[in-house]
Amino acid sequence: MENKRKYVIPGDVITTGPYRPEQNVILDGNKIIATAIGISEIYDDSIKVIPLTGKYIPKIDDLVIGKVVSHTSLSWELDINSCYVGFLPAQDVFGRDFSAHADELTSKLKSGDLVAARIANFDRTRDPLVTIADRDLGKIDSGTLVKISPSKVPRLIGKRGTMIQMIEMATGAAVTIGQNGWIVVSCETPEGLLKAKKAIQMVDEKAHVANLTDQVKEMLESKGES
Amino acid sequence: MGGRDTTLVLLDENGIRCDGRKVDEPRRIMIKAGGLKNADGSAYIEFGDNKILVGVFGPRDVHPKHMSNTDTGILRVRYHMEPFSVTERKNPAPSRREIEISKVIKEALEPAVMLEKFPRTAVDVYIEVLQADGGTRCAALSAASVALADAGIPMRDMVAACAAGKAADTIILDVNNEEDQAGQADMPIGYMPSLEKITLLQLDGVLTPAEYKKCVETGIHGCKIVYELQKKALTDKYFGNGESK
Amino acid sequence: MTSTSVIDDLKKSQILELLEQGKRLDGRALDEPRKLVIEVNAIPKANGSARVRLGDSEVVCGVKIQPDRPFPDMGDKGIFICTAELLPLSHPSVETGPPGPDVIELARVVDRGIRESHMIDLSQLVIQKNKSVVGVFADNVVVDYDGNLFDACAYAATAALLSSKSPKWEMQNDVPTIVEGGESDVPITTIPVSVTMGKIGNHIIVDPNGDEWASMDARITITTDSNGNICALQKGGTGGFSFEEVIKCGELSVKVGSKIREKLKQAKEGA
Repeated sequence: MENKRKYVIPGDVITTGPYRPEQNVILDGNKIIATAIGISEIYDDSIKVIPLTGKYIPKIDDLVIGKVVSHTSLSWELDINSCYVGFLPAQDVFGRDFSAHADELTSKLKSGDLVAARIANFDRTRDPLVTIADRDLGKIDSGTLVKISPSKVPRLIGKRGTMIQMIEMATGAAVTIGQNGWIVVSCETPEGLLKAKKAIQMVDEKAHVANLTDQVKEMLESKGES
Repeated sequence: MGGRDTTLVLLDENGIRCDGRKVDEPRRIMIKAGGLKNADGSAYIEFGDNKILVGVFGPRDVHPKHMSNTDTGILRVRYHMEPFSVTERKNPAPSRREIEISKVIKEALEPAVMLEKFPRTAVDVYIEVLQADGGTRCAALSAASVALADAGIPMRDMVAACAAGKAADTIILDVNNEEDQAGQADMPIGYMPSLEKITLLQLDGVLTPAEYKKCVETGIHGCKIVYELQKKALTDKYFGNGESK
Repeated sequence: MTSTSVIDDLKKSQILELLEQGKRLDGRALDEPRKLVIEVNAIPKANGSARVRLGDSEVVCGVKIQPDRPFPDMGDKGIFICTAELLPLSHPSVETGPPGPDVIELARVVDRGIRESHMIDLSQLVIQKNKSVVGVFADNVVVDYDGNLFDACAYAATAALLSSKSPKWEMQNDVPTIVEGGESDVPITTIPVSVTMGKIGNHIIVDPNGDEWASMDARITITTDSNGNICALQKGGTGGFSFEEVIKCGELSVKVGSKIREKLKQAKEGA
């Protein structure tokens, strides 16, 4: 199943023929046209473009890192690096016994707090609903926030997690990757932290470069210098 | 020779224009994608002596909320000239000309931008003219397209723009400031190259039907030249070898 | 500025933690400003201009010089007006429309820093006393925000003015008319340099970047002239400075200011 890859910008005609248009691609007559800057991939019966830019589009079950930006008496609003603001209802944190009179939202989360959350529900008619009710989710107490383009997240994870594992092992850092391009990095040593951040930034800048893995490996193995 | 200003030679006997160009030659054009740290997408263009910076934010929440549309995202464009961009210092408050150009550019971009996918949001395009020298709306529209693509806004096509006109009874490509003042017609054109649709078209001046046709053809030819530079700007940023913003 | 943008608390506590150890998040010393890049003549058609990058804050200043009527009671002096505008493309939280108090304060502080130093000899900018004078307009536009616009705008305006060329006008038939070939430098008497310092906890830091700006309790902008004298000052923010801190800030502004003055001179030379 050969797939041909090509660099495209919006308006580029990728090919003509009976293909099903998938992400970032439209059909005009029998022309398949790219609608984003990225890399086109042609499969047997469909074509898609992997974008190299753009905001995060929420998908149900995605793990995201969010920042609390405001709240009402019933919910918090989270910046999740998307076109839409994440909506976290108070019940998610306080439980079903939540009472707007008795329970003060800021006792649990306030503006400026970072959380690891999951997208619980999303359709374009309303803001994405998020939850922090699982064990691996919740307020982030330590670490550094690093931001990359959400379209580069798959590259940062790598095939079966190989890229991120390589970075974690070489630096001793623990990395939590949000699908929205926000990443939390914790490390015991400041040098490890700096190197991990540098590696992540390299992936963000060079995601399209063929031998990126080798370049990152080389940087991780080099001594000293920041 | 034609034109209102008789001291300026718009076209000499060798077919050379007042700034040394041939009739079908555009001014020097340079487009760069990216460059701003905070904007979601950005672009910078130099088109002759025009210097224009564009920043894009979005899709993002709409404020005030009553302006949002439940079925589709909206596009907002602000074309603004800095006080120092023109010969006589300009008042910072928006002029009627700026408001009209903002609208015309917005309507030139709307056919290309696919905002149905983002209901209740807005995409904001901020155009800042740092230095003006005739043809700012075409340069601005061309840079805005690049900034929108840079921001990852889905687009069915790019929009490239260039003006054609008439001076000294001749159809010329890319009208500069002197030719705009002293010439006989100025026709800015915005064009989607793949879909082959004209999305911006205005005319100032008098043309016979034959000249009108030639002017449109010439303008489209100019748009295609601009398109190649838009493509180069995006390719250099995204597909260059390890080149970062 | 941008009180609507929320800094994440983790970063805020990291900034404070590092300051306790005498360090900053970007590795600078407490009294170290960011890298300053100055490009003069960025807008060749203006009478003078500069594009300045202070860290990731970026400002373009254009100077326009044109004849104007003098202010009443100041018929023997030219006019100097300095403005600053925050462009909406500089940061997602900037709205279009008339400037709010933050931006108005920015413009007035930058204007005062240059005006009070008497950088421009306005008495040399008279075409006809009480009737026609030369107006020098320095307009700053902020294109990218990362903290400390006070200094970024001040450096852009100063660099633009230093490299500005003014035409010469003469009254002819009661109308100011340009004299061909009479162009000259704008009459400069001194080079004002502003230095802004922020206070976070008990620490004073020079040239706060965007994150530090959002974390600080108070700030102070001090402008010095080429003689090392303090000619303008503005304290802002909701916190307070002790007497010792205010004196220390004065000393820092002279020390840091003199180094930046050299950079401004070099930028003009290279033009």
